Amino acid sequence: MSVETANVRTDRTLSEQSPLGAHAPRTQRTGESLAFNDELHLQAHRWLVDESYLLDAQDYEAWLSTLASDIHYLMPVRVTTALGAGYTTAPGMAHLDENMYSLSRRVARFATEHAWTEDPPSRLRHYITNVRTFRTKNPDEIVVDSAVLLFRSRGDINEAATISAGREDLLRRTATGWELARRTIMVDESVIRMQNLAIFL
Amino acid sequence: MTDQSGVLNDVRQGMIPAHIYNDKELFDLEKERLFSRSWLFVAHESEVPQAGDYVVRHVLEDSFIISRDEKGEVRALFNMCLHRGMQVCRAEMGNASHFRCPYHGWSYRNDGRLIGLPFHEEAFGGEEGFKKKGQTLLPAPSLGVYNGLIFISLDPNAEPLEDFLGDFKFYLDYYTKQSAGGIELRGPQRWRIKANWKIGAENFAGDMYHTPQTHASVVEIGLFREPKAEKRKDGTTYWAGNGGGTTYKLPEGSLEDRLRYVGYPDDMIERMKGQWSQAQLDVIGQDGFMISAASLFPNMSFVHNWPRVEEDSDDVHPFISIRQWQPISENETEVLSWFAVDKNATDEYKELSYKAYLMCFGSGGMFEQDDVENWVSLTNTAAGSMARRLLLNGRMGLLEDGGNVVEPLTNEQYSGPGSTRVGYSEYNQRELLTRWADHLERPIEAAAQLKVGMTAVRKTSKSGSASSCVAAEAPIDEAAETVLLGA
Repeated sequence: MSVETANVRTDRTLSEQSPLGAHAPRTQRTGESLAFNDELHLQAHRWLVDESYLLDAQDYEAWLSTLASDIHYLMPVRVTTALGAGYTTAPGMAHLDENMYSLSRRVARFATEHAWTEDPPSRLRHYITNVRTFRTKNPDEIVVDSAVLLFRSRGDINEAATISAGREDLLRRTATGWELARRTIMVDESVIRMQNLAIFL
Repeated sequence: MTDQSGVLNDVRQGMIPAHIYNDKELFDLEKERLFSRSWLFVAHESEVPQAGDYVVRHVLEDSFIISRDEKGEVRALFNMCLHRGMQVCRAEMGNASHFRCPYHGWSYRNDGRLIGLPFHEEAFGGEEGFKKKGQTLLPAPSLGVYNGLIFISLDPNAEPLEDFLGDFKFYLDYYTKQSAGGIELRGPQRWRIKANWKIGAENFAGDMYHTPQTHASVVEIGLFREPKAEKRKDGTTYWAGNGGGTTYKLPEGSLEDRLRYVGYPDDMIERMKGQWSQAQLDVIGQDGFMISAASLFPNMSFVHNWPRVEEDSDDVHPFISIRQWQPISENETEVLSWFAVDKNATDEYKELSYKAYLMCFGSGGMFEQDDVENWVSLTNTAAGSMARRLLLNGRMGLLEDGGNVVEPLTNEQYSGPGSTRVGYSEYNQRELLTRWADHLERPIEAAAQLKVGMTAVRKTSKSGSASSCVAAEAPIDEAAETVLLGA
């Protein structure tokens, strides 16, 4: 079951429902998850692990270069609703709802000498697991589900903060490798226990 | 309990004992004497547009269901079953005609009335043992609405909301009444920060001084059209009623020019001209100031700004955000941050405004990120014994003899109510902390108790002022047989 379609009232994905998602690619998964020795799955898994090292190192310029120009990067706000309500995200509200330009501004900000929230930098570790890969109708696009646990430690006084989330990614094959074209991040808390989202998941 | 009169007196002089930002005893006093009686924002009517819609909001540890009943009235119901105290609603939003307690199955209509009590006859002996008729979930002692903003107070004798807001209503309209349609709220984003709740409220109330330093990075990356964050000092701080805020100085031009300058399209400008008073229009068109951040005592804040959000475009797009600094403890705050937008604006405007909000403020906002880093650090440092030796200087704008560095603008210079000054100062932070000290000094009266199912039938007192809503007191038709507070 798709991360996106599991939690919506309509049959539209959260990316489709987003007021800022008009530009987003619409490709969806087809069929069962691929075998773990499938070449596509191996490539997808490697891509995610390599990405996690970039994010841990805060090498955001390099990370930005792995994103497709039409990327939709969406992290909805989760809400506690009754079983059967048909939705678990706040209507019309996300924590992050980004395109290439807004992501590039976030990265550019970290590169200034005045982004105090990451100076000194956090110690970050992205744990990636539960990876599975699906084909789509487009031979050059695959859908990849994963779970991510981010551990973020700052300074020496407060306890480290963690974020647990499920992700659904759309990866697109290019001449130089795979690019991330769409990511929907389903965070597992309704109240984020982290002082800000000056990180990427 | 420690005598805090020295602390409160220092605060009134503008000298701030640093430990007030991380002190358990003071936090206990805030719970007892401030949050137990002040008006507090809980929700906006647009969050519960249809009959049966509800959201659940907190006042410290107290959970309230903010619901719209079948008659369209907004109610604030204490989320505790009258039987064994279970939460009757454990979702945070939804639509329901009834709330049924999962423990023993007592059920309540969405106006709070108890209508289902399993085995009433067999277990309680019917009305003889438990007076079911007229029982309702405990309503918030006072409820008031202004421009659709729903406030409650735990004090049944709270002054009317509109009196509490006072002249701050003049400024509140800029954020929440840009047309007859008012605003619609989306969100909130919710997240916890290890910072004392007062810091954010003070910052939004009047801290123009931090902008050039804290927020240098967002100017450098081109989010703002103005090349220098120092522009901030040309604006004003104002205090009116129980709230205050900051403004930016606008370039020369007509009212329309100036509203266009911050990104408002002509259709919205026309509606603003039809909605706002001449004085409200003159603050912009004649005096040349545009509202920015603001706080309403004690813990509600607003922000209005106009960043660039699109590549290859110098156009700016205004956004409005409303937020609440919900105290968790002396060193932790839950931030609730909503995006607000004029209901009558075009979809295109709403999208760009939403984008502007997400880029600047809220859980992922680029402005916000640096603010919170500072506030967490400040809170940590305020915990120790050395912090008790420091009286921080919060007297910016005041000379040692009490004179002003900058005098308030006169009625000829400025069209709005309250006390308004150009430039950096900490008058507004002092206004907030003085009110804080006034509350902490004043003991609280013991609240009336209700003996559920036992108390004699009596109508409750009228709650605070309400416009389109009534206070969620005794429900409706069977008024004669309704009961609630024993008071």
